[in-house]
Amino acid sequence: MSRFFVDAWDPAYGASFEAGGGPAAPSSARVEPDHEVPAVDWRAIGPRAGVRAPDVVLLVDGVRRIDASVWTAEEDGGSYPGIAASYAAGVVRCDLQRGVAQLAGTKVGRGLFTASPSAGDVVAGSVRYPVHRVGGTGELAKLPAAVQGPLTALEVEVSGAERTDGDLLVVDGPLRNRRQLPRTLGYIKTQHSQYLDARLNAVVTALDPGQRSPVFRLGTAWGGWSWYVRLPVAPGAPWAGIVRVECSAELDVTEAVALADLSLVTLPRFASNPYKDPRAPQNLVPIAGLERRLRALLGDARLLHRVLAAAAGRAR
Amino acid sequence: MTDEGIDGPAEQVGRVLGTADATPLQFWTAVAPGSYLQLDDVVVTRRELPDREPVTIAGVVTQVRARHEGAQFDSDVFAIADGTLPAQVQEAAEITTTRVDPELYVPPTPGAVVHRATGDARARALHFDRMERRIPMGMGRDGVPVYLNADFLDGSRGAHVSISGISGVATKTSFATFLLYSVFRSGVLGGDAVNAKALIFNVKGEDLLFLDHPNTRLDDATHAAYAKLGLAAGAFPDVRVYAPPRVGDSSGTPDVSSRLTGVDSFYWTLAEFCADRLLPYVFADADDERQQYTMVVHSVAAHLARYAQPADGGVSIDGVRLGSYADLVDHIVDRLNDDDTRSEWAGSAVGLGTVNAFARRLIGSKKDLSRLIRGDLATRRPHSINTAESAQVTVVDLHNLPDRAQRFVVGVTLKSEFERKEKSGTAKPLLFVVLDELNKYAPREGSSPIKEVLLDIAERGRSLGVILVGAQQTASEVERRIVTNSAIRVVGRLDPAEASRPEYGFLPPAQRQRALLAKPGTMFVNQPDIPVPLCLEFPFPAWATRVSEAGRAPSQTLRSITGTADPFAVVGTGGGTDDDIPF
Repeated sequence: MSRFFVDAWDPAYGASFEAGGGPAAPSSARVEPDHEVPAVDWRAIGPRAGVRAPDVVLLVDGVRRIDASVWTAEEDGGSYPGIAASYAAGVVRCDLQRGVAQLAGTKVGRGLFTASPSAGDVVAGSVRYPVHRVGGTGELAKLPAAVQGPLTALEVEVSGAERTDGDLLVVDGPLRNRRQLPRTLGYIKTQHSQYLDARLNAVVTALDPGQRSPVFRLGTAWGGWSWYVRLPVAPGAPWAGIVRVECSAELDVTEAVALADLSLVTLPRFASNPYKDPRAPQNLVPIAGLERRLRALLGDARLLHRVLAAAAGRAR
Repeated sequence: MTDEGIDGPAEQVGRVLGTADATPLQFWTAVAPGSYLQLDDVVVTRRELPDREPVTIAGVVTQVRARHEGAQFDSDVFAIADGTLPAQVQEAAEITTTRVDPELYVPPTPGAVVHRATGDARARALHFDRMERRIPMGMGRDGVPVYLNADFLDGSRGAHVSISGISGVATKTSFATFLLYSVFRSGVLGGDAVNAKALIFNVKGEDLLFLDHPNTRLDDATHAAYAKLGLAAGAFPDVRVYAPPRVGDSSGTPDVSSRLTGVDSFYWTLAEFCADRLLPYVFADADDERQQYTMVVHSVAAHLARYAQPADGGVSIDGVRLGSYADLVDHIVDRLNDDDTRSEWAGSAVGLGTVNAFARRLIGSKKDLSRLIRGDLATRRPHSINTAESAQVTVVDLHNLPDRAQRFVVGVTLKSEFERKEKSGTAKPLLFVVLDELNKYAPREGSSPIKEVLLDIAERGRSLGVILVGAQQTASEVERRIVTNSAIRVVGRLDPAEASRPEYGFLPPAQRQRALLAKPGTMFVNQPDIPVPLCLEFPFPAWATRVSEAGRAPSQTLRSITGTADPFAVVGTGGGTDDDIPF
């Protein structure tokens, strides 16, 4: 029997590496691995001496929840699907110097996402779901993705707050359109694509906890500087505890390497424990705490479903 | 009725929680950031009702808790303190309702603002506004006076105080004396306070012998504390101290070591012992009552009352003059041993074994009681304890008497005082009786003559103006009817096993726990008016509690009663004859 490893993640969340036994879905993106070290010299890189974690780390995340699926009744007898969704974004300010982690800002949004041309805002009790018209046919399966846009906008909105000199902003997920924010890292928990070739991947899977790969550049539309980090984790599956971190493509290579070194001394201390978090260690402790608080801010799902149903009954 | 607690500048301290049930009698309050609530704080909130005036709900904080919100695991506290996990510290306070006004028992609405009650709002919350006569008892935890409803002390609606707590740290006697001081000096009882008397039995040390001496360790803070309660800090002005005669001293000088002046000795003459039938009090152990010889006791007592004739201090029975208690005992035993006279003394249907058991016990009492029952001292010299003719406060020192003698003194004194009050037929003037170690005199099990007297006081004293201020280490070991008849129950520091007994059911669980670590001077007082016991601290005694604290003795105490009594009455020959000096 060959060796096998149990993934640390709760199966409900999928696997930390989504591409089966390895990064089996090769990306078409052009990869430039030679910027920090030549591809032939790729090796694991440990923490650089003299680099200290910043005093203040800000972490941004958002949560969303579908409160109800709705169907509209159009004049012409047709019907469009829609979803009433709540979403929230927040930022945690971890002051490592003082040992205080606090919510530095939260925003909650709600919306009715539908392609129906006649839909209006839904008012249910004391909450309002403003209508977000979705282009195209608006089939039900596509609607959840439509929530991501307003949520990212909300995340960008809260990210700008509370910045101080010398801090570091960690954004949960790819940077996307947040690349203009200074000293900002995108933090990708789940590896969907294989960017590197097999030889370079072997360097990544051979990383020890607390080591990173050299910085490489992605040539995709949202591309930028990227590197892999292995968080503190019990030795196990090749991709266990590995996250991809990215920063803005507009930085030059030395700035990107400096951020990579900074990430290596900052991120491991935020790694979570397997018995406390179903997505450990990739789901960072402050992010988990933030998500709990944000979910609480969304309001009680059953209650919202009830008031939505009551509002629909009144509108009839 | 003003509403400054709600509409005025009163501090907002939080809001009623919605994550725990809010009930009309108990609810939780989330404490607002930057505010705090401590145990015993008084708060008030309001509930708006349709078509009615709003209901004001006032209560006392009975529990406070703080927790990290957003933490799931105990170990999350390290991540939170490390600054990696966001969490919020949230305090919440449990409020036990003390008053609902108007009486419409609705729960407060979650989210309703909770104010700290001050001034009139606090007085209303604690029902002080309904008390027509308020006796200051001490300071609440918030440093503001708390009061006792005088109606429940002087017998108008209730009487008797029961104080429980561990010896030494519970300061039971100090609280009892402070309460007396407050009753006498606060002016709340008006003219009644002037005539009211107190009878205090001093059972331990010479602690209570200096009530009339100012305390030299009194500082400005204590003076201020007394002033805040509306009292002047000082000693008891009018105190008389009685002590038993010294052993083997034929002149009957009082047996005290530290207090040297103003102490009078008390004793009973043989004639009084026989005429007043005091013999049963020699056998005042609960243990004694279970024995067969009780019949003999009463028979002998009746015989003594019938046949003993006063004879120059002593008594004469059957033509024999008896000059001391030992002589009397020997005479009785002699007569009981004689086949001819036994049935005359002990009754006819009594077995010899029973008579012998009685005789044995009687002989055993010689050593303990011969100093108290005298035939050798002047009968006219004032020697009896009578609060009506004594000072406002009468202290009876028992601390160096053996157990049997202590029971005898307490039993006889209480009996004579109670009978005197019964005869006078009016409740006024009031008589406060302070008795420590009540579990010894009125134990739950068995019966004894003292227990009968104490039960009488507990059950009928209220209407006769006899107020029992009883103290004990364990209320669970005191006769239940005495405890239940006490309108006011006070608890100091309690023993953990004792605190869990049903006698302390009036304490809410949090206060029961606190009573285990109450420091000296802290008491929990339960009175019928207020549904929650009040925690209070009473000020340091303004009178000396030991000789080292005693200031200069007041001038009147320098004279003993022998000095104040008419010398001619002491040596007089008992005649209203022509020989009287004509002025």
